[in-house]
Amino acid sequence: MIASPLATSVAFTLGPVPVTTPVVATWGLMALLAGGSWLLTRRLTLHPRAPQAALELLVQAIEAQIRDTMRVEPAPYLPLIGTLFLFIFAANWSTLIPGAEPPTAHLETDAAMALIVFAAGIYFGIRSRGAKGYLATFAEPTLLMLPLNLAETVTRTFSLVVRLFGNVMSSVFVVGIVLSLAGLLVPIPLMALDLLTGAVQAYIFSILAMVFIGGALAPPPADSNREKAPA
Amino acid sequence: MHLDVWTLALQTINVLVLVWLLARFLFRPITAIIAERRAAAEKLLADATAVQANARATEAELARLRSGFSAEADRILAQAHAQAAADRAALLQQATEQATQLRKDAEAAIQRDRVAAQAELDQQACSLAASIARRLLGRIPAKSATAGLIDTLAADVAALPEATRREIVTQGEAVEIVTAVPLGPQEQHACRDMLAGILDGAVEIAFHSDPSLIAGIELHGPHARIRNSWKADLERIAAELQGDKSSAVEARRLA
Repeated sequence: MIASPLATSVAFTLGPVPVTTPVVATWGLMALLAGGSWLLTRRLTLHPRAPQAALELLVQAIEAQIRDTMRVEPAPYLPLIGTLFLFIFAANWSTLIPGAEPPTAHLETDAAMALIVFAAGIYFGIRSRGAKGYLATFAEPTLLMLPLNLAETVTRTFSLVVRLFGNVMSSVFVVGIVLSLAGLLVPIPLMALDLLTGAVQAYIFSILAMVFIGGALAPPPADSNREKAPA
Repeated sequence: MHLDVWTLALQTINVLVLVWLLARFLFRPITAIIAERRAAAEKLLADATAVQANARATEAELARLRSGFSAEADRILAQAHAQAAADRAALLQQATEQATQLRKDAEAAIQRDRVAAQAELDQQACSLAASIARRLLGRIPAKSATAGLIDTLAADVAALPEATRREIVTQGEAVEIVTAVPLGPQEQHACRDMLAGILDGAVEIAFHSDPSLIAGIELHGPHARIRNSWKADLERIAAELQGDKSSAVEARRLA
């Protein structure tokens, strides 16, 4: 990938709608994740084998991370946060497939996820505090902070987009440049670093999404904080 | 900077669909099976707690029954001890009474044997004394000893009641004069005269001799019997001795 990182190629069109390659790659990842999940969760038992145990370990780790970061029960947020982490992780590691280009290396995919996190923050904030309460949070601690809080809400969404896009795109771009210059084996260390970067970026995006959504929620009771603090 | 709106919209929809798909096929089943396992574990713990509580209750019940058994055993043992003590006391009392009775019976038997032996000894002593006296008196001439006794016979006949003497005469039955040695004619005649004089009438007299009399004279009649001989005296003495011994023994027993 040495073309412009902002350019997207159209794979095909559906009427007036151009379907770009990131969309096609996303469909492939969706099929892989959803199909794999369906296959692995068809026959769950109380005495799990290795695949089921690995899935349970993954889900419980995500729940524990949500609980520790947001200080709330993780059940309502698990599908969104877990999906974001798994999708970004799978998209970033899709570079292992020859010829595949991670959809997260394109701005639209990252922007779509950032928009979803933005909307989720508003949704969960209103559900937790009510519309008035949620809007009142923009005037905290004083009304003078209203412009800054509004700007922060927008800019942190942009930061999500730019952080993920910049890291993934740059990794893919660097590997592509090195591959075009230095041959077959030289990019391997950079590809390994790309995998590490992709995993870290998936974790960071999920953590920041939890922080942003959690910041919109009403603070938990003091007793709840004390009870959950040891966990 | 170019942002493809169609791609942005499609990717937004894709991510939302993926959220729904993973929620439907991954997170919900996994969290459900984890909750089910947790519930099963809690139920298992609850069952184990219930079983433990039941076991403790059973243990307490067993301890209570064991203590009850112990108390019952103690009670039965105490009752058995009391019964044994009562039986032992009763047996001891019975044995004491039997021993006392046996001792009394033995003492009575010993006393009877002693009395019998004493009586036997007395009898033998009397017999020995009579035998000795008989042998000693046997050395005295019977004739001279008998002569002196005829006078005593007269006194004895005279001492008889008047009615008895009259019956001897009026009925005319023969009287028998028994002596240790046969009397001579003069002595028989003297006897007839003596009796006729005392009885105021003739009496038919038959004379016999009996050496066992040792000495003396006896009159045997149908209504009277006068024993005036040493044999009779010895028998009388022996009877008196026997009577004295019996009286002495009886007096000691009463004392």
